[in-house]
Amino acid sequence: MSSTLIVQLDMERFCEEANIPATYVIEIVEHGIIEPQGRTPDVWRFEDYELVIARRAAKLRDDLQMEWEGVALALDLIEEVQQLRAENQRLKQQLGRFVSQ
Amino acid sequence: MDFKDYYKILGVEPTADDKAIKTAYRKLARKYHPDVSKEKDAESKFKDVNEAYEALKNAEKRAEYDEIRKYGQHGQPFQGPPGWQGRSSGGFEDNGDFSDFFSSIFGSRGGGFGGQSGRSAGRRGQDVEMELPIFLEETLSGESKPISFQIGGVSKTLNVKIPAGVTDGERIRLKGQGGPGVGGGANGDLYLIIRFAPHPKFDVEGHDLVITVPLAPWEAALGTKVAIPTLTSKVMMTIRPDSQSGQRMRIKGHGLADKHGQRGDLYAQLKVVMPTHGDEATKALWQELADKAAFDPRAQWSN
Repeated sequence: MSSTLIVQLDMERFCEEANIPATYVIEIVEHGIIEPQGRTPDVWRFEDYELVIARRAAKLRDDLQMEWEGVALALDLIEEVQQLRAENQRLKQQLGRFVSQ
Repeated sequence: MDFKDYYKILGVEPTADDKAIKTAYRKLARKYHPDVSKEKDAESKFKDVNEAYEALKNAEKRAEYDEIRKYGQHGQPFQGPPGWQGRSSGGFEDNGDFSDFFSSIFGSRGGGFGGQSGRSAGRRGQDVEMELPIFLEETLSGESKPISFQIGGVSKTLNVKIPAGVTDGERIRLKGQGGPGVGGGANGDLYLIIRFAPHPKFDVEGHDLVITVPLAPWEAALGTKVAIPTLTSKVMMTIRPDSQSGQRMRIKGHGLADKHGQRGDLYAQLKVVMPTHGDEATKALWQELADKAAFDPRAQWSN
């Protein structure tokens, strides 16, 4: 049986691996974009998939000169669009099996 | 090295004022931002747009560029004015994401975009994202798969173990397998984004699969036994008499695996199909059925 390894990172490691400053990470957490375990930055524990989200948030902010509120909203909407696209594609594929040419 | 017409890239007139340039830049940056855009080449277009704005947003740089622009044409090889030498002459300074053309004019005065923290010495290598198409069958067993990709013109091949129970769109992070770091910086990471290849038979719904089962009208009416393909083999399924098109039957445990090794279910969805043509004898039989069945299919228009 395979086991899944869950990698947890502390604040310092997280900043280093995401390559973004701690001030950014604090904003990103305060805006609920990612949700580490632990109450304060010194005990925060991040999961490794959250690196991508944090990096994406920092990039949106810098590239498009967005406020953090806007970044949070954009990320939510992007995720929703992706889900809807995937669902749409799935339904189309299923429908295609029922509709004859 | 090709000349880049930054006005053309931003879609503005060479006489455009700062405000028009800024607006054009903002619109295009949103349009081509790699995290937002679904356009092809979004990433390279985004870089072009940023570079164009970097050159045009500042009056001094813009004047310098305007001077050089007299000697170049978009997409054509660029030599520069007679006697012009350009600025990039080796050196280790990093130019971020700007092109050779940009640095030949402005040297390494780029910067100003991207979220570099400048914490450590050296620069961390680029993270690379890559889509990895896999077949549904490959999600079951945790197979290894060779993948090839290019970083900075160098081909790399890795043998990657696909964890059992991966889902469509999931990211797999391969630490340190991205672009090489510069000046002692760490290597970037490689992210594989799992994409399920469309299957000729099965549709995916979460961890469940759906297969469409064609039935003759009399099979649906009288019932039958059908061998249903699964991802790995076949199972026999009993179709009850008076089955309907669209009806679903659950075949437990023949769906996709989840992370804990549990399998979802396979749903067989019935689809009654008509024979394409019948001979006279068949027609007569249908006619007899029509007369005797006394069935109004349109008693209800929707269910």
